[in-house]
Amino acid sequence: MAAQSSSSFTPVNYSTRVDKVGTRPMVANLMRAIIAVMLVCLTLIPVVWMGMTAFKPLKDAITVPPKVFFTPSLEGFVNLLTQRRQLNGAELDQFRQRTDLNWADQIALQQQQQIIGQSQFVSQLINSLIIAVTSTVLSVLFAVLAAYAFSRFHIPGKDDLLFFILSQRMLPAVVVTVPIFLMYRQVGLYDTHLGMILLYTSFNLSFAVWLLKGFIDEIPTEYEEAALVDGYTRLQAFRKIVLPQAMTGIAATTVFSFIFSWNEFAFALMLTQDKARTAPPQIPLILGSGGVEWSTIAAGSMAFLIPVVIVTFAQWRHLLRGVTFGAIRKG
Amino acid sequence: MLKKTGLLFVLVAILVVALSGIGIAAAQDVSELTIWWAQWDPANYLQQIGNDYEAATGIKVTVVQTPWGDFYTRVGTEWAAKGTSYDLIVGDSQWVGQGVTQGHYVELTDFMNENDITGSVTPATLQYYGEYPFGSGKYYAYPTEGDANGFAYRKDLFENPDEMAAFEAKYGYALAVPETWAQLRDIAEFFTRPDSGLYGVNVYTQKDYDAITMGFENVFFSYGCNWMDETNNVLGVVNADACVQALDLYKELYNFAPPGNTNSFFQEMNDSFTNGQAAMIMNYFAFFPALNSDVNPYKDSTGYFVMPKGPDGQQFAALGGQGMSLNSYIDDTRKAAALDFLKWFAQEDVQKTWAEYGGYTCNINVLGSEEFLTQTPYNAAFAQTMTFVKDFWNIPEFGQLLAPTQSALSGFVVAGQGTAQEALDTLAEEQDAILVETGVIQ
Amino acid sequence: MSQANPPMQQAASSNARRGQRQMSDRRIMLWFILPTIILLILMNIFPLIYSLYLSFTNYSVIADKAPEWIGVQNYQAILSDSKFWLSFATTGRYALLTVILQTVIGFGLALLLRNKFKGSGLVTTLILIPMMLSPIVVATFWKMIYNPSYGIFNVLLGYTNISTAPEWLGEPDRVLWAIIIVDVWMWSPFVMLLCLAGLSAIPEYLYEAAAIDRASSWFQFRRITLPQVMPLLLIAVLFRTIEAFKQFDLVYGLTGGGPGDLTETVSIRLYRLAFSGQYDTGTSSALAYIILVVIIAISNLYIRSLNKARGG
Repeated sequence: MAAQSSSSFTPVNYSTRVDKVGTRPMVANLMRAIIAVMLVCLTLIPVVWMGMTAFKPLKDAITVPPKVFFTPSLEGFVNLLTQRRQLNGAELDQFRQRTDLNWADQIALQQQQQIIGQSQFVSQLINSLIIAVTSTVLSVLFAVLAAYAFSRFHIPGKDDLLFFILSQRMLPAVVVTVPIFLMYRQVGLYDTHLGMILLYTSFNLSFAVWLLKGFIDEIPTEYEEAALVDGYTRLQAFRKIVLPQAMTGIAATTVFSFIFSWNEFAFALMLTQDKARTAPPQIPLILGSGGVEWSTIAAGSMAFLIPVVIVTFAQWRHLLRGVTFGAIRKG
Repeated sequence: MLKKTGLLFVLVAILVVALSGIGIAAAQDVSELTIWWAQWDPANYLQQIGNDYEAATGIKVTVVQTPWGDFYTRVGTEWAAKGTSYDLIVGDSQWVGQGVTQGHYVELTDFMNENDITGSVTPATLQYYGEYPFGSGKYYAYPTEGDANGFAYRKDLFENPDEMAAFEAKYGYALAVPETWAQLRDIAEFFTRPDSGLYGVNVYTQKDYDAITMGFENVFFSYGCNWMDETNNVLGVVNADACVQALDLYKELYNFAPPGNTNSFFQEMNDSFTNGQAAMIMNYFAFFPALNSDVNPYKDSTGYFVMPKGPDGQQFAALGGQGMSLNSYIDDTRKAAALDFLKWFAQEDVQKTWAEYGGYTCNINVLGSEEFLTQTPYNAAFAQTMTFVKDFWNIPEFGQLLAPTQSALSGFVVAGQGTAQEALDTLAEEQDAILVETGVIQ
Repeated sequence: MSQANPPMQQAASSNARRGQRQMSDRRIMLWFILPTIILLILMNIFPLIYSLYLSFTNYSVIADKAPEWIGVQNYQAILSDSKFWLSFATTGRYALLTVILQTVIGFGLALLLRNKFKGSGLVTTLILIPMMLSPIVVATFWKMIYNPSYGIFNVLLGYTNISTAPEWLGEPDRVLWAIIIVDVWMWSPFVMLLCLAGLSAIPEYLYEAAAIDRASSWFQFRRITLPQVMPLLLIAVLFRTIEAFKQFDLVYGLTGGGPGDLTETVSIRLYRLAFSGQYDTGTSSALAYIILVVIIAISNLYIRSLNKARGG
C-alpha cells in the first residue's frame, strides 16, 4: 500500500514544480499515504465492529468488557430472517428429541425457540429495493431532461426556478410529512409503493437536476450546434450527443439518488406501515422477546449495506470522476 | 423519446388518479378476523389461540404484529383514516380514552354483562384495561394480557451466607427480598460494586414514549402520590413532598444501575441481568419468560418479587398490559363475528389454555388456580401483583401529559439537572398548562 | 462524436426546418421540464400550502374533527414556549459545531488525498463508506458502540474501569458531542469529496507561477488553494448546514432527544408534536413553518456569500 513508485505520479503535473523535485515529495507522499491508511482504519472500526457483531452469538454481543474474539454464529442472521416463539419446558424437551431439524431450527433451538415463519424483514428488504430502484430511475430520467432544458434553453425566470428546485431539498422531512401524510391518506397513497416512489423521486429531483445541469453545462454546445446544422433534430442531438457525454454525471447522480432512497428513514417511518414499509425504520426496532438483539440488528444492517456497496463500488470511478469533473463550478 | 417520456408521465399521472379513486374495499365475507397487537411473544401465543379458534369454527384468525416502538403510531394512523384493516385490537390501557372519545372503539358494556364476562376478570384489570371513564361502569375492552412491573433478582447473591452476614452487619437487618423501597435501596447500594462489575439494581430510564414514567410510577404511587386529584388538579399534587422523596429515591436507584443505562427499557433490563451486571432488575412480567430460558445463565438462581411498599405501607405496581377492543369502523357482520370470537376467548377454559401458552390471563379463577401459580417461577408474583396495579391517565390528553413528564424525569434522573423538587415543580406547571388549555381543568 | 450520417431528407429545406425547430424547441423544453415541475408542485408546494393553512388551525389528524381556525395562536404558543427556544439553541449549536468540524476534517482529508499514490483510489472510496450508510442504522450502531458496559468506544479511548468511564449518551456535557462525533464521522467524507473536486480543478500553472516566485506554501495555500476551492467548499458547507438543521435520524436513533431535553433538536421536537403520542397537527404545522423560514434564511445568507465568492 505504502510502496511508492514514480509511476504513481502524474509526471506532467509535477515536472516543472521546483518544490516537488527530489526525494522530499517521495517522503511526503509516503507520509501522506500512511496517514491516509491509518485514517481509513480508524474510520472503518465501527463498520468492522458491526460486521463482527453480526456473527456473534447474542450472549457475546453484550459481554462486559466487549469481546473481540468469539465463536462465530449465524444466530443473528437466523433471527433476522425468521419469526420465532419461545418454547416452554415440556415442548422444549420434545423439540430436543427431534432429529428432523435443519441447521436454522437448531440455532433457534439453542435459544429455546421454534421457528414459526419468515420475518417481515425479507419483504421489507424487497420493498426497499423496489422503491429505491424505481424512484432512482425516475428521478434520474426526469432530472436529465430538466437539466438539459435548463442548460440549453432560454427559460423565463430560470434562476428563480432553479433555486426553487434546489430549495426543495432544504425541507426537513418532518416538515413536509404532516401535509403529505394527510394528502396521501385522502388519495389512498399512504403505505403504498407508488406513494413512496413519488415522494423519493421528487426529493431526489432537486439535487439531481442541479448536479446534472452542472455536467451538461460543461458539454460544449458546439457539438450540438454542428449536429443541428447537419440535420439532426433537437431530440436526436440530445440523445446521440449530449447523453453519451453526460454519462459520468448520470452515473454519479444515480449513485447519490439510490443512496438517498435506499437509506431514507423519516418518511418511511411516518408514511408506511407494512405493505410498503422499507427496511430502515425496521432495523432499530428489531426486538427479541428479552434483550436487545444486537446480533440481529447487526445482521440486518449488514444485509442492508450490501446493495449500496455494490452500487457504489460498481460506479466509484464514475462517482469520483463525476464529482471531480462535475464542476458545479460555473454557476 | 418525447413520446415515450410523455407517455410515461401520463401513465404515472393516470396511476395516481386511478389509485386515488379506489376506495376501501367493499364488505367481505367474514371468514377471517384480523387482530392487531405489538410484536412480542404474547402475540405469538394469541396466534396459537387464534389457530385453536380456526380449528373450532373455521374462521381464520390472524394476529398482525407491529414492533412496540411503532405500534401507537400505526394505530393512530389507522384511527385517523377510520381504517378497517383490523377487527380487534389489543391496545394499551391509556389508549382507551382516545379510543372512546374519538369514536374508534365500540362500547362492550352490554355484551360483557350479558355474557357474564364482567365478573370473570379481576376488578383492577377490568377497570384499567376496559373502563372509561373510571367508575362509569362502561366497558370498551376485554382485559386480555394482564401485565405490570415486578422485580427479578439473583438468588445466588441474596442467599449467599457471606453476603447475608455482611449485609446484616452493615444495615442491621437480614438480607431478604425487600419489603419496602427503603430496603430495596439499601440492597441496591450493598450490591453495587463497580470494581467487580456488579451493580445493585436496574430501572427504566428511556425517554421515547412512556418508559421512565412507568418505572418511576412504581415508587411514586407507593409513596401515596397521584398524577392528579379528584378535581383534576396537578399543582401541589404532582409536586407534593412525598412525590419529591419518591423521585429522589428513583434517582438513587438509577445511581446504582450499571453504566450505559441512560435510555433503557425492558430489553436493556434483561440484558443487564443476563450479562451479570445487575443484582435486581425492574421489568414487566411479560418479559420475564426470557429470563427463564437458557439465554439467562443465572436461570436457576433467578427469583422474582413484587413491588415493595412505600413508607406508609402503600403498595402499587405500574400497569402494563392490554385489553382487546372492537374496531368501530368495520361493518356489522364483521363486528358480530369479532364479538363471537371475544365471547369464545373469554371462556374460562380458553383462558386457561391462554395461560398455558404463556399469555397472562386476567381471569380470576385461572389466576387463583394452583396450576397457574406453580407453572412458572414468576406466576405467583404476577398473580399477587395483579391485585394492586395502578395506571396513569387514560384521558385523551395523555400523550401531551406524557411528553413533559418524560422530559422532566429523564432530565433529573439521568442528566442530573436541578433537584427533584425543581423537576416536579416545573412538571406540575407544564401539566397544569396543558390541562387548562385542553379544558380538563376549568 | 457525430460521425453518424445526418438524415438526408432533413437537410432539404433549411428555412422550414428552422421554423419547425423553433417550435419544437419550445415544446421539447416544456416536455423536458414539466415532469420535474409538476412533481415538485404536487409533492412539495401543495403540501406546503396545505400545512400553512393547518398551522392556523386547531387540528389533530387522528381526531374525527374538522380543523378549527384559531389565527396565530399556534405561533404565539410556540414562540412563547421556552423549550422551543431551547431546542433551537441546541440545533444551532449542533449545526455550527458539526459543520465547522466537518469542514476542517473534510478539507484536511482532501489535501491529504489530493496527490495520487498507489491505492489512493481505494483509500478514497473506503473513506466514503460511512456516508453511504443509512443514518438510522449508523445511530443504532453507535448507540451500542457508546455503551460504557459493552461498547468499544471507551475501550478504544483507553478506559478500563467502566464505572469511571464516561457515559457518552447520559452526561449533560457529553451527549450532544456524542451525536456530533457520529455526524462528523459520517459526513466529513462528503466535504472531502467536494473539496477534492475543487482541488483537482485548480490550474497547475498557478502553482508553477507561485513556485517560480518562491512563494511559501502557506502563501500558496492562502492565495491559490483556498480561494479556488472556496465555491465548492461553500456548497459543501451549505448542504451540511441544511442537513444539520434537519438532523433527525441520528438524534432519534442515538438519544431520542434525551436525557431530559438535552438533545431535543427541532426536528425531534416536531416529530414528537406531530406524531408520537400527541398528534397535534395544528401546532406542529406552525413549528414546521418556523423551521422552514429559518432554514431558508440561512440558505439565502450562504448563497449570497457563495455568489460573492464566485464573483471574486
